[in-house]
Amino acid sequence: MRYSELQRKSFLEATARERAIGLTDEGSFTELAGPRDRMMSPHLPILGEAVSFDDGVVTGVGLVGEHPVFVISQEGKFIGGAVGEVHGAKMAGIFRLALTAYDHAAQEHPHDLERYRPAVVVSFETGGVRLHEANAGLLAHAEIMDLIQDTKGKVPVISLIGSKVGCFGGMGFVAAATDVILMSPQGRLGLTGPEVIEQEIGKEEFDASDKSLISRTTGGKHKYIMCDCNELVEDRIGAFRDALCGLLNRPYSSLCRCRRIGSYELVREQMALVRLAAQLNPSDSKDIWRYYGNAEPDLIPEMEVKEFLKTAHRRPREVE
Amino acid sequence: MALVHLKFSFDGIPGASIPREWSHSGVVGSGDMEVLLTRREQNGRVNVTVCTPVSGFDRVWELVLRRFVAESGCGDLELEINDNNATPFVVGLRLRQALLEARGGEI
Amino acid sequence: MQEMSTQTWNALRCDTAERLNAAAEILGDGKIVAAKDVTRLLEAVIHPGDKVNLEGNNQKQADFLAERLCRVNPKKVHGLHMVQSSIALDSHIKLFEKGIAEKIDFSYAGPQAGKLADAIQSGKVRLGDIHTYLELFGRYFIDLIPRVALVAAYQADRDGNLYTGSNTEDTPVIVEATKFKQGIVIAQVNEIVERVPRVDIPADWVDFVVPSPKPFYLEPLFTRDPALITESQILRAMMALKGIYAEYGVQTVNHGIGFDTAAIELLLPTYGEELGLKGKICSAFALNPHPTLIPAIESGWVKNIHCFGGELGMEQYVRERSDVFFIGPDGSPRSNRTYAQIAGHYAVDMFIGGTLQIDEDGNSSTATARRIAGFGGAPNMGCDPKGRRHASPAWLQCGEENGQREALVGRMPRGKRLVVQLQETFREKMAPGFVERLDAWNLMENAGLSIPPVMIYGDDLTHIVTEEGIAYLHRCRSIEERRAAIRAVAGFTPVGLKANPSETRLLRDRGIVKTPRDLGIDPARASRGLLAAQNVRDLVRWSGGLYQPPGKFKNW
Repeated sequence: MRYSELQRKSFLEATARERAIGLTDEGSFTELAGPRDRMMSPHLPILGEAVSFDDGVVTGVGLVGEHPVFVISQEGKFIGGAVGEVHGAKMAGIFRLALTAYDHAAQEHPHDLERYRPAVVVSFETGGVRLHEANAGLLAHAEIMDLIQDTKGKVPVISLIGSKVGCFGGMGFVAAATDVILMSPQGRLGLTGPEVIEQEIGKEEFDASDKSLISRTTGGKHKYIMCDCNELVEDRIGAFRDALCGLLNRPYSSLCRCRRIGSYELVREQMALVRLAAQLNPSDSKDIWRYYGNAEPDLIPEMEVKEFLKTAHRRPREVE
Repeated sequence: MALVHLKFSFDGIPGASIPREWSHSGVVGSGDMEVLLTRREQNGRVNVTVCTPVSGFDRVWELVLRRFVAESGCGDLELEINDNNATPFVVGLRLRQALLEARGGEI
Repeated sequence: MQEMSTQTWNALRCDTAERLNAAAEILGDGKIVAAKDVTRLLEAVIHPGDKVNLEGNNQKQADFLAERLCRVNPKKVHGLHMVQSSIALDSHIKLFEKGIAEKIDFSYAGPQAGKLADAIQSGKVRLGDIHTYLELFGRYFIDLIPRVALVAAYQADRDGNLYTGSNTEDTPVIVEATKFKQGIVIAQVNEIVERVPRVDIPADWVDFVVPSPKPFYLEPLFTRDPALITESQILRAMMALKGIYAEYGVQTVNHGIGFDTAAIELLLPTYGEELGLKGKICSAFALNPHPTLIPAIESGWVKNIHCFGGELGMEQYVRERSDVFFIGPDGSPRSNRTYAQIAGHYAVDMFIGGTLQIDEDGNSSTATARRIAGFGGAPNMGCDPKGRRHASPAWLQCGEENGQREALVGRMPRGKRLVVQLQETFREKMAPGFVERLDAWNLMENAGLSIPPVMIYGDDLTHIVTEEGIAYLHRCRSIEERRAAIRAVAGFTPVGLKANPSETRLLRDRGIVKTPRDLGIDPARASRGLLAAQNVRDLVRWSGGLYQPPGKFKNW
């Protein structure tokens, strides 16, 4: 597929590899530990489960302008994008490479670091830990969390969420810990997945077959209103790429201000939200949208992105 | 329970390989497969390995692959397939797409 | 005035009067019965051994009355013979588990198909038979006459006039069969209103009206998300459009439920347009309001559609397209299933749909060894009705090609209806679509049926479409030839592996088998980009916002 076609392609329908190639500058993406290296799960064959040459994640490096961009792109079609041992190790490896690249950039371009600063971009599509190799998967989560802390002050970490599976489970925590989150309306972000909530608490609490409810609770528009995601873009690879380019053109310090956790003040802001939830006792996200000044919440799901961005009222941030 | 590994070898057309050293195509989704194509000068032979959770379809694989090699006019190739319950239709389709992609065609 | 002669001709009427008196003694006069009193009402008017009709088909369900019937005392009410279109709810099986009912005659058992098979095997359910809808409706007037009918409607007024709206479905046939044979009709309604928008069932055919605590259950059974349509389905849809719709100029059609026909509907404005078929095919349908038909309707392909029932979310769209759909003076459709079934059986030139298994002789079934799914209306649509029929170009051409016509009717011209099955040679998990022996045989043994539950018989089937090719079965001169044609398109299934290449070559030369290449179709073109809508949101856009999909299908 031509690069220009790739830019027009739906992010939701795109494979992990298409996303990785399309997010970076044309012709700049080099896959690392790719299919030809055949780094497959050692655990799945014993269980009689199909394996994949890339273990469900595309990792590599490309450019956005002068920035080396280290890409992790998960493939939801392979075991729901779940993180196993190899998959997790490949993710961790990318973070390490980015940190090494930062050290080089800091040495080579001490006065022009803003221009040459590396970044990590994670295109999430996962439900978290792969149950077939859960211990390894959990360890990988912890390792990646640790590495994200190591990036602070050095390398921006940007989450892109707009794929079919969404970003749930342990990886929901990981996404929350990154600096910036970009979503499309089709993106889904949460901790406990809808099916698990229904299974544990019941259909009255959460009807997981109600896709519209899932969208209102975990989808891009809701996360944008709540300021859990920083920017909302249309469902095109090119739209995600444009937003990514925009972010990388901004000073690093402004990206750090996009975080939602990581300081005492931010924790206080989150706690205030918990109190608000208890006080409002909302029965649907629409109640909260209305609370933040969206007079006709019923119209919000139907809106195209442009119109939504023009009219939506977001939660006012306490920490700027 | 364990995965099934199958090996096949067919007569192909000498020199009818792919321009690049290797090429990869497809995703191991449910009912789908991926294939890694590698160029290898071997008098036209096409060697195929299949890794699949489904047993009992050795003959079907052989026939599907034989037809692909004959109809596509390829040769001098190694094909490595990771399968997850792809139907013969999907296998044929993905192989044709992979070859087209490897030869630089548009899909 | 009581008749005093020894010979009585109104025993049924007297019995009904006694039952109604018993009800009045408990509940007082008046037609409106509170939800809390329903169980007692049922115990008063239903007697052991009665034939009881519980309304419900694959769309609307008298679910509240079904649930209350499960609560009657089995000592008072037992041995019921249920006669009903579908077995869809847990409560339908529970009636048997509790010993309230013991026998059933039905048409369709979607989600309960597995439980039903178990219940029959363990002896809890005695199976009368599995019917098509029209057959069952017919028997309501002959030998399966309901004594009591429990039906569902949207609204009732205080007199008991019912409004069944766009989900009228089976209510008229059930009520008429019951009431005109002196039976008792009880309706659950979503609400009582001062004035119903339209009288679908007149008040004097209704004995009791129960305002239900919850609106009746409605299943959006005919909604297919375009996002789930596969390349294989698109290829078969392309083949069907070029090799059948275009070849015969098929103007009047019934589409089976499923993704294969959804693909065809979504290809009309794209591939169909490219083939120049607009106006030449598909101008009239007997069909539920399939959301996937919206792009074709909006592009001006379709003149009219008569529906079997409603479809959740399509109400407003249907209402705003009264040139296409059948809309009452009140502004809403009625969708009387009996009429739509008649139209689908007699008035359309082609049935096209999917199945689970086809055998070497072309018989097909959706039955598996452990599930009794039944058939609904498919076998009526999916057959060539015997007897006289009006002539249409497609019907005449198909008859002209009939390789066995001369052996059957000599030189008399006779057309043939097109009955087409779309089948991928392997389904998911590599289950073969062509088999040497249908699972229906095992089901017959397991469930004690007298014959295997075949859905479409081989002699009615005119075409099979697989990714390997189209078999024009009716062009064959003998069963041997038909078998060879079936083998030729059965791919790598056990049946297909028996194909003899030289025999297949001969069939291709004679136009009995056509591969995609013979049809001039490049399988590489079969991509999702050809679909007029890629997802449910696209369908909403096509409809100008009039289609309002239920939450289950609305991922925004």
